[in-house]
Amino acid sequence: MAKTSLSRLFASLSEHSIAKPSFTGSRSDSVTRSAYNSVTRFVCSSAQETQLIREERSNEGDREAAKENLESVNKEEDEGEDGDHVNKETGEVGGPKGPEPTRYGDWERNGRCSDF
Amino acid sequence: MAASIAYVGGHLQYGVNFCMGQSYKQAIWVPSVTFNGCLQRELSWSCGVSKFLQIRKCNLFQSRTNENWKSFGTVITSAYLRDGSTKYFDFAVIGSGVAGLRYALEVAKHGSVAIITKAEPHESNTNYAQGGVSAVLCPSDSVESHMQDTIVAGAYLCDEETVKVVCTEGPDRIRELIAMGASFDHGDDGNLHLAREGGHSHHRIVHAADMTGREIERALLEAVVNDPNISVFKHHFAIDLLTSQDGSDTVCHGIDALNTETQEVVRFISKVTLLASGGAGHIYPSTTNPLVATGDGMAMAHRAQAVISNMEFVQFHPTALADEGLPIEPKKTRENSFLITEAVRGDGGILYNLSMERFMPLYDERAELAPRDVVARSIDDQLKKHNEKYVLLDISHKPREKILSHFPNIANECLQHGLDITQQPIPVVPAAHYMCGGVRAGLQGETNVHGLYVAGEVACTGLHGANRLASNSLLEALVFARRAVQPSINHMKSSSLDLSASSLWTRPLVPKSLGSDVMHKILRITKEVRKELQSIMWKYVGIVRSTSRLQEAEQKIGKLEAKWETYLFEHGWQQTMVALEACEMRNLFCCAKLVVSSALARHESRGLHYMTDFPHLEESKRLPTVIFPSSHTTGTWSSRQLHQQPIVKSMV
Repeated sequence: MAKTSLSRLFASLSEHSIAKPSFTGSRSDSVTRSAYNSVTRFVCSSAQETQLIREERSNEGDREAAKENLESVNKEEDEGEDGDHVNKETGEVGGPKGPEPTRYGDWERNGRCSDF
Repeated sequence: MAASIAYVGGHLQYGVNFCMGQSYKQAIWVPSVTFNGCLQRELSWSCGVSKFLQIRKCNLFQSRTNENWKSFGTVITSAYLRDGSTKYFDFAVIGSGVAGLRYALEVAKHGSVAIITKAEPHESNTNYAQGGVSAVLCPSDSVESHMQDTIVAGAYLCDEETVKVVCTEGPDRIRELIAMGASFDHGDDGNLHLAREGGHSHHRIVHAADMTGREIERALLEAVVNDPNISVFKHHFAIDLLTSQDGSDTVCHGIDALNTETQEVVRFISKVTLLASGGAGHIYPSTTNPLVATGDGMAMAHRAQAVISNMEFVQFHPTALADEGLPIEPKKTRENSFLITEAVRGDGGILYNLSMERFMPLYDERAELAPRDVVARSIDDQLKKHNEKYVLLDISHKPREKILSHFPNIANECLQHGLDITQQPIPVVPAAHYMCGGVRAGLQGETNVHGLYVAGEVACTGLHGANRLASNSLLEALVFARRAVQPSINHMKSSSLDLSASSLWTRPLVPKSLGSDVMHKILRITKEVRKELQSIMWKYVGIVRSTSRLQEAEQKIGKLEAKWETYLFEHGWQQTMVALEACEMRNLFCCAKLVVSSALARHESRGLHYMTDFPHLEESKRLPTVIFPSSHTTGTWSSRQLHQQPIVKSMV
C-alpha cells in the first residue's frame, strides 16, 4: 500500500521536469529539491521496482549535475571540453541541461521554441 | 498579375519541358496541364553559340577541359581578373548559410568561388536553426521510415523521388559535417545522440546542445575562411541575375551586387551561379527570420525567368511573443520573433482572446492540446473575428516555481518588458517561420535557367510538400548543396568566360544624384510601405485564407506597389538605380505577389494552405503549384530585372 502511494507520489513528482537552478533564483527550489531527494532516497531503499530506481537515480544524478554547476560526473573523457554536462539518463554528452527539448514535439529550450 | 500558373500533373519530374517562347509572352491560366520529359541539361548542351556571347557548350568533355585542369593554378588567378568593378569567378554563390557554404567548399576544389552575402556571413536563417538536423543514423531506424514521416507531414504533396534521395543521402552529409569539424552531441558510448522531434517516428535528430545551426555555420565558415579559392564578399547585396537568351533557353552569367558599405556596384561574371539566399519571412510583420530574409533570391530568380513553385505553403508558428501586448514595448523592433514553446500549452497553458474568452474548445475538443496547425488557425480566426493584434496564453494558474524553472527564458524576456508570467497572461501571435516553396529545383539543384542552381530554403525541391517536417530544412540544404556540385563542375568546365560580357548589361546606378533630402524621403516612405505590405499579407494572406480575401490582397498589393513606384520615380529615381532598402522592397513585393498568386491557384486545403471556401483535401489537386515567368514588356519595376527595363533595348 505504502509502496503504491509512494510510487504515485514519485510519479507525480517526476512528471514535472527536473528542477534546475532557475535564473531568477527562486529559493523554494532548493526546498523542493531537498524534499524530493529525501523522498527518493526513501523510495530507493524500499521500492522493489528496478525501473523506478533507475529513473530515480538518473533524476537525482541530473539534479546533482545541475546543482554542481556543469561538473561532469562521468569519468569518461569527452572531447576535451571541460565541464561538459552529461545527461545521466541518456548518456548524452554536452547536451542541453534540463528536460528533453523535444518532449512536447517541438525543439524547446527554457520555454523558447526554435524548431517544430 | 502577369504570371501563368499551372498545376503540373503526373510525376513531379525534375525537368520541365515547356516552350519558353509561348509562356514568355502570354499570361495564361492553365488549369491542369501535364508536363513531361526532361529539359536537356548537363550532358547534352546544344552546341549553339549565342550571338552575343562565346559560351561554348560541348557534349563531350574534351582535352580543353583537361588543359584547364592541368593549369589549375593559373586558371584560378587569371579567372579573378579585375575590370574596375567587375569580377570574374568560376562559381558565384549567393548566400552564406549552410547551403551556400557547403557548396562553396566542394566546388572550390575545381575553380574560383565568390560568396556574395548581404550582411555578415553568419547572418542567415541557418544560424537561428537551433533545433537539429534529421537523418537516419540509428540502426533501428530506416530510410523508409524517415520518408514516410516526411511525406505524411507534407500532406502527400512531396516529390517521392526527392524525399528518397534526401533521406538516403542525409546520413553521409552529417558524417561529412563531423569530418569538417562540426561537433554534435554524442552519448558516452561515443555514438551521436539523437533526439525525437514531433512528426518523427524514430529518434533521428542530430544536434549540438541547442545551437545546431550555429555550430554547423561555425564549422563551415571556418573551413571557408581557410580556403584560398573562396573569396567572401560580405555586405554585398545581390540585385539581379545577369541573364541572356540562347534561343529558347535563358542562361545565367553572373550577378550584379551592391556593396552596401562603400555604396559601389560590383558585377560578378561567373560560369555557374548557386542561389542559396534563404527565405522570405519579412513579407509578414511577425517572423522568426532575421532581417536579411527578404526573399531576394526568389525574386531575382523569378525576374530571371526561373520557374517558382508552391509559394502558398508558408509555415507559421502559432505562439510567438507579441511585442505589442507587452506593458513596456521593446525600444526597437525585435528582429526575429520569440517563439513560445508548445510545452507551455502542454503544461496547462490556456489560450484566451482579449475578451478573456477561452476559444480553443470552440475549434477542437482537444482544446489547447490540439495539433499545432489547428491552434494556429484558431488563433488566426479569432484575431480576424475580433480585429485584434494578439491573443493571450495564460500559465499563471500554475505554481510559480514550476513556471520559473520550466520557462526561465520566457519569464526573463517578459519581465524585462514589465510582464510577470506567473501573474499575467502572455501576449502571443503567430509568426512566419519557413517557406516551403521557392525556385523550382530538379534533383541536382538545377533550375530551368542554364548555369543557375539553387539549394536551401530558396529552393522548392519537392521535399517538404505542403508542410515541412521538423529538422528537415538543414538536411535539405546539405543534400542539395552537395548534389549541385557535380553538375556545376560539368557546366563550368564546358563554358568559357567571355571577358567582354560584362558590358552587355546596363550597370545599376547608385542614386548619388538625388541628394540626401530626397533619399531620406524615399527611405522613409519605403519603410512605411514595407510595414503596409506586411500588414496586408498578415490580414489577407495569413493562416486562414479565402478567395475573396486573397483577391483583395492582390488588389491592395498592386495599388501599394504602384503608389510606391510612382513616388520613387516622381522624385527622380531612375529605372536602374539601386539602394538596399529599395531593392529589398521590390523583392518583398515580388515574393508577396508570388504567395498570393499561388494561394489563389490552390482550390483545396492542404498542409499549410487553408481556404475557408475550399476547406477539404482534393485528391485531384494533389499537385504542385507552378508559376511561370511573365512577359517583360508589362509589369512593374519590381518584376523586371534592373537591366531589362522597357526603355533599354531588349536582349532577345
